[in-house]
Amino acid sequence: MNQNKDEHEALRQILRQAYKEKEKVEVGDEWQEQVMRRIRELGEIEASPSSLVMFEQLVWRLVPVTCLLILGLTLLLSSFDFISGYDVIQLLMNSTEEITLNQFFGL
Amino acid sequence: MDTDPHSSADAEVVYQVVSGDVNAFERLLKRYEAHVLRIVKKHIPFDKVEEVAQDVFIRIYQSLPNFKRDDSFKQWLSTITVRTCYDFWRKHYRYREIPISSLSEKHQAWLEEAMATRSSQSFDDIASQKEAREILDWALDRLSPEDRMVLELVYLEGYSVKEAAKLLGWSTAKVKVRSFRSRKKLHKLFKEMSLSRRK
Repeated sequence: MNQNKDEHEALRQILRQAYKEKEKVEVGDEWQEQVMRRIRELGEIEASPSSLVMFEQLVWRLVPVTCLLILGLTLLLSSFDFISGYDVIQLLMNSTEEITLNQFFGL
Repeated sequence: MDTDPHSSADAEVVYQVVSGDVNAFERLLKRYEAHVLRIVKKHIPFDKVEEVAQDVFIRIYQSLPNFKRDDSFKQWLSTITVRTCYDFWRKHYRYREIPISSLSEKHQAWLEEAMATRSSQSFDDIASQKEAREILDWALDRLSPEDRMVLELVYLEGYSVKEAAKLLGWSTAKVKVRSFRSRKKLHKLFKEMSLSRRK
């Protein structure tokens, strides 16, 4: 087990060294000119906003619509008569009882 | 990762470029070409280095509006460079032909010698041999783009998991898992290779 570990560590050291050697490869000088040529072709950068900024813009754009929606719903709800759930149940129970008693006594 | 002494000057040049002075970008190119090349040379095959280095700078140019003044430009640029290299391998992986040829006897002998070596002097001698590079490339070619990038950054370059995660834009958990897996795959490859020689 230990021998295996030693072998792998030795190999790692050597591979790291070999990997580092890659840096020494020489490259031509023309690619930088190519980059500048391509960049001039592209022209000025259009500062495209980041996704966070775009989200913020969307939120602000939706603010008036949301306000109108809230106002509309408030008006709609205030025009309704509110009866609590308890009242409704009691009403039903009462009328059921009445019907049943009426039927029972034949009134 | 070192601190960047050019940071405020870089931010100034970035501002000029974003404001419309395209030629100001040349200053950033000259300042960082060696740094970008150093990264690209290690990750990309020699014949593609110039092409990828160009793509890196184009991508940097197009991403300049997203650069935050308070960040280190060098760090930001390194991240884009590493991610461009990763994208190269992802694209390459889709169209690659899997090399079926196994390594020669000479390579296998080299591997056995490398595994048996214990002195640092011998490490340098063995690492400088042509076989070292060829075996490294052979092994890396057999890994997925994700495993390859993590193995190169963590195992070969010595970046911490956190640093590698930042460079690749991944979670540290993902880098940890990939690092473990890719190392295991690499060892398995070498083990199979040395076993095939002993048969």
